[in-house]
Amino acid sequence: MLIEQSAYTNRWRRVSPAAKGLFTLCGLVAAFAAATPVTACGIAVVLCAVTILGAGIPPGRYLRVAAPALLFLFVSTMSLAVSLKIGGSVGDVSLHMAQTEYAKVAQVCGRSLGGLAALLFLTLTTPLIDIIALLRRLKAPEILLDIMVLCYRTLFVFSEAVHDTITAQSARLGYANVRLSMRSLGGLVANITVQVWQRSQALHLAAMARNNDGPLRFLEHTYPNFKRDMCIALCAGTALVALSMVIV
Amino acid sequence: MHIMEGFLPVKHAIGWTVASAPFVAYGLHTINKRIKEKPEQRMLLGVAAAFTFVLSALKMPSVTGSCSHPTGTGLGAILFGPTAMAPIGMVVLLFQAILLAHGGLTTLGANIFSMAIVGPFAAAAIYRLAKTAKLPFGISIFLAASLGDLLTYVTTSCQLALAFPDPAGGFAASFAKFATVFAITQIPLAISEGLLTVIVFNALARFNPKELKEMNVVTAQEVQA
Repeated sequence: MLIEQSAYTNRWRRVSPAAKGLFTLCGLVAAFAAATPVTACGIAVVLCAVTILGAGIPPGRYLRVAAPALLFLFVSTMSLAVSLKIGGSVGDVSLHMAQTEYAKVAQVCGRSLGGLAALLFLTLTTPLIDIIALLRRLKAPEILLDIMVLCYRTLFVFSEAVHDTITAQSARLGYANVRLSMRSLGGLVANITVQVWQRSQALHLAAMARNNDGPLRFLEHTYPNFKRDMCIALCAGTALVALSMVIV
Repeated sequence: MHIMEGFLPVKHAIGWTVASAPFVAYGLHTINKRIKEKPEQRMLLGVAAAFTFVLSALKMPSVTGSCSHPTGTGLGAILFGPTAMAPIGMVVLLFQAILLAHGGLTTLGANIFSMAIVGPFAAAAIYRLAKTAKLPFGISIFLAASLGDLLTYVTTSCQLALAFPDPAGGFAASFAKFATVFAITQIPLAISEGLLTVIVFNALARFNPKELKEMNVVTAQEVQA
């Protein structure tokens, strides 16, 4: 997972997640509040520059992470730019470029790019475990946080199991054609399905052996520069929102 | 098919979040009840979320010859129940947004509604209907998984059409546009996922009949069949 690698190795790893969350929130507000599509694109460029230059994320990795979302944006905005007219009789359907919609398409594009840049700022600079800790401080439901913690810790175990199984199946030509691929994949998912029950039973036994009878708690990082980080995030975020509203 | 960050207007993003909230809240309430009765369910649901996340990252051969990713909607609904799938789906969608940049934070509500509410509830309802109609086990599983997938994609198209109605044809024309564009990937995906889910249950019935009965997913007769 490219995002996860960047989240643990970027320059701002030790910056308070609350400060990064606050700046992301301001980025999202700025993207939505932008007066024009150009302003929204400008917000996206600023957020992108902050992530790449500030946190030290390689530009190539940034583009690879953004690619699926950009593909969705391209397909969806093309659908918006084309207007479909359905006539009264059967088969009376015509497609034409909706020139009146161009402004709306530009607005959606700008807003989406700004939103995506804000999301990528958070995800590429903050590990998920820090985001979960932040949600705990924001009083998110305990059971939801437990599911998140367990999910995060187990998904790497499953990823490893899936990787090993696929390697073993591939070595036996399990993915040589479509039919074999479906069969191998079916076997793989069935095996992992059974592991869901087996691993959860084992985890429950391990937790019981340690007298666990409630929420799963872990030691959290401390951030010595918390106040400084929050001040910087607040100032930068406010400036971003102000710019989005002022620049036309 | 995840709606990307920032794509929906504010009113729609808030509206879909409000629409999804009661289902997630009810799902959490039932999970809390389940955990009080059976404490081991806490671990099971967390591990189930990881399973769904890993499943969605697998590459599945599509019937058109390309590759796509299964959603796990039908499989999850049959294995863990549709009510539990709302909070599990929420966690998985949040993880997908944070770890893979698929979907987004402002569009989380809309994505939960289509993928963690409509899909699982439809899959579970179709599975029950098919069982009541005494259809063969394989066909019931195929219909539940593939129609659950299809309804997820229809819901997403509806969400996009509601947000962006066509200037000439309104909601219907906009829905037709989005549904047609995404049908290229989503219909083959639904068929492939239906087939894959059948293969998964066949493999479970063949190699792990004891576990399958313990999971209360199928009856002993279905395992023997």
